[in-house]
Amino acid sequence: MAGQSGSQLSLFTPDEVEFVAEDELVEIVPNLRMDSLNFICGDYGPFYPQIAIQVPLWLALALKKRGKCTIRPPQWMSIENLTQVLEGERESHAFQTLPFHYVEISRLLFDRARDDIPDVYMVRSLVEDIRDVRFHKVETNLENFTNSSLVLQWKNMAAMEVNIIRAFSGRALQAFYRHENEQAVPDLDRTQDRQPQNLNDRPRVCRSFCCIPIFPLHHWIDKIVFISCLLDYCPTIVFLWRAYCLFVVPLQRNLRPR
Amino acid sequence: MGDYYDIDDILAEEDFVPVQFHKAVNGVKIDESSERGFVEQDSKAELPFWLARGLHLQQAISIKVPACFNRNTRLEIEADAGSVDLRSRCSYFYEFGCKVAPYCDKSIGLLVSYAFKARYKEVLYKSHTKAFAAASKIMTFLTKEETNLYEAAQSSMAAFRKWRMGGPRLQRASILGRKRKPAE
Repeated sequence: MAGQSGSQLSLFTPDEVEFVAEDELVEIVPNLRMDSLNFICGDYGPFYPQIAIQVPLWLALALKKRGKCTIRPPQWMSIENLTQVLEGERESHAFQTLPFHYVEISRLLFDRARDDIPDVYMVRSLVEDIRDVRFHKVETNLENFTNSSLVLQWKNMAAMEVNIIRAFSGRALQAFYRHENEQAVPDLDRTQDRQPQNLNDRPRVCRSFCCIPIFPLHHWIDKIVFISCLLDYCPTIVFLWRAYCLFVVPLQRNLRPR
Repeated sequence: MGDYYDIDDILAEEDFVPVQFHKAVNGVKIDESSERGFVEQDSKAELPFWLARGLHLQQAISIKVPACFNRNTRLEIEADAGSVDLRSRCSYFYEFGCKVAPYCDKSIGLLVSYAFKARYKEVLYKSHTKAFAAASKIMTFLTKEETNLYEAAQSSMAAFRKWRMGGPRLQRASILGRKRKPAE
């Protein structure tokens, strides 16, 4: 598990995942007349009263907040479909097909557009049940990390579920990889290990970690060591400095109690 | 030698390992008990690992198995890895084991990876669930690296729950809430 300077993992907060989810298209029924809106992501409109149109979710929510439209719940959010999905989830080990952002979309619609969804309480409880069952499956899958495979493939996971286990599973996979590697190739001759390690054979998840170099500036001797390493000096000099610190400078050191 | 500047790497190498000197060394004072500044051949001492490694390359010493990987620990891990208190033995159990293994005993590498797999299965993968958060006594057993994993899981789960509860999307900065006192 060495090398887990992992406070700088590339993580997303749930709010950021929700922000990305708001790009999904939903169908709305406006009650105003407006010219077409030209955005960088596309052109939407023109809007005519009572004529359905597809817009991104963020735009739909903004219009809904101003009372300019009603949002039609997406196809997958009907009670029949959700009941079917829930039964499928309970029966099989695989994940059922749901939109990638179903958690965020459903939460946003429940919060902002509650009156547009028929049987909102039933739908809400179904979505919560589905979420619980799926997350339980995720945890069961996490238990199977001990197979030494560098690539794990789970189909049909949703964005929020992935985000929850992203940090944990990234670090766990890295740790497993480290231990397998240590067993396979113990390198005895460290003096030759001056080249930077070949990163090509590491799992993909490692490459997005950025390690912040921490050097102990609190001790000026170590500063010299750092500079000498920077200038690519022989490691013997580095070792001699450290031995100098220990032997010549008298240290009051107690042996660690076992 | 991946991360020279990584603080966890530095701390992991601080642990003591028992060594046996092959050559007599002059002018150094390892034990406070010895009056003379002299270490005889075939005497035993405990040195920090970073020093022991360097001396090993000079072929001045041979490194023995550190106490935290001894037979007692092995038996305990084989019995029930999930409840072994690894933090009191060595906070950097896994990392230290990976470093020491090439020098004294290859089977330490197997022990370390077996211990990690077993503890992962029993302890760590459950760290996502809420009920597990109540069993915070597990935290005292974990080594530094396992604590990293555990906290990553806990914080991401807590963030998700907080997001689900809702709350205002715009938050008022706390500094605005305070009333200004008249400057005297």
